[in-house]
Amino acid sequence: MTTYSREDTKRLFAELRETGDQSIRAELAKLHLPLVEYLAKRFKDRGEPLDDLVQVGSVGLLKAIDRFDLGRGVEFSTYATPTIVGELKRYFRDKGWAVRVPRRLQELSLRLNKLVAQLTQDLGRSPTVPEIAKAAGVSEEEVLEALESGQAYSTTSLDAPTGGEEEDAPMRMDRIGEDDFRLDNLEYFASLAPLIERLPERERKILYLRFFKGMTQSKIAEDVGISQMHVSRLLTRILEFLRDGMEGDAEY
Amino acid sequence: MTRREDDERGDVTRETVTVRVPPTASNLVVLRTAVSGIAARDNFTLEQVDDLRMAVEEAGIQLLRRSDSDHLTMEVTATDSGVEIRLAADIRAEDPVLDETSFSWRILQALADELHVETEHGRAVIVLTKHRLLARRQEEA
Repeated sequence: MTTYSREDTKRLFAELRETGDQSIRAELAKLHLPLVEYLAKRFKDRGEPLDDLVQVGSVGLLKAIDRFDLGRGVEFSTYATPTIVGELKRYFRDKGWAVRVPRRLQELSLRLNKLVAQLTQDLGRSPTVPEIAKAAGVSEEEVLEALESGQAYSTTSLDAPTGGEEEDAPMRMDRIGEDDFRLDNLEYFASLAPLIERLPERERKILYLRFFKGMTQSKIAEDVGISQMHVSRLLTRILEFLRDGMEGDAEY
Repeated sequence: MTRREDDERGDVTRETVTVRVPPTASNLVVLRTAVSGIAARDNFTLEQVDDLRMAVEEAGIQLLRRSDSDHLTMEVTATDSGVEIRLAADIRAEDPVLDETSFSWRILQALADELHVETEHGRAVIVLTKHRLLARRQEEA
């Protein structure tokens, strides 16, 4: 990482655009391989060999090299990071890591959403799966499937492009080189504070009410004015964001 | 794997389901789904099921981070009073598996009714308990 130089990168890109020399393209790729390796490591606990991930990430790097426009005034590493991460995420998505939810389940999930709210009100507590199945006229298996898919759906939508704000990657080269970027050190509330600050106000409130005040999901739902199942999805998403955030990969 | 046995008093049926997976994040989905299925069929409320699902994920992640074992084991034991989940992995001896001042601990405490960690012979077990809100369903004939 110490050999990395922004000026070198700029000069090489200028030369590449001028000459189209493929050896310069290769040199740029080689220069930024540590970035790919760094990003690939974030996905290493998903059961794929790191070498494969570096290879996948390199495809993203090459795409970024071909598309990068010096005139935009963005650092190349900033530009390339979302492209590389996108390539890695697509790889897992294609492998079935994130589940595509069939329409049948999406519809059932939406229907259950309303039903659960109704039952919660009628019973004065959160309903059980057998109760939901009976009220919906479907099997318990289907209810479970729909609930699980509701979570999967929210997970994939997190990965989906947010639109409008491309190249909004907070990753900076100067942060990447740090060896003491240990997850454990970040596990204290104080260091979580900057992450929590990046959450929308409603999400911050939900996080606080559930984990610091011990309020139930139904009560929070009532308080915030959304359904309990929505609270559930948001909580899952918030926890995921905080975990990713500790690894420097947070987007909310 | 399901094991049934009567406890000392002989009036409670304990049923333990054991799931053993390779230690990867994607396998946490397997554990999560197993817990949801067991608790949901055993008359826990939707919110309780959801709490358990999130707790297993959080505890699993903590174990994965500190473990170098080749597997992660989850034992789910349902009784008339509730459900106990034991998530276990081999750990590097010098690391505490879950710091009581950590955010993770806070999350797990909010999600489970009881929480403790057992560390012995290089193996850590995160034990989560959730009490029943509703009585068990009668076993259907």
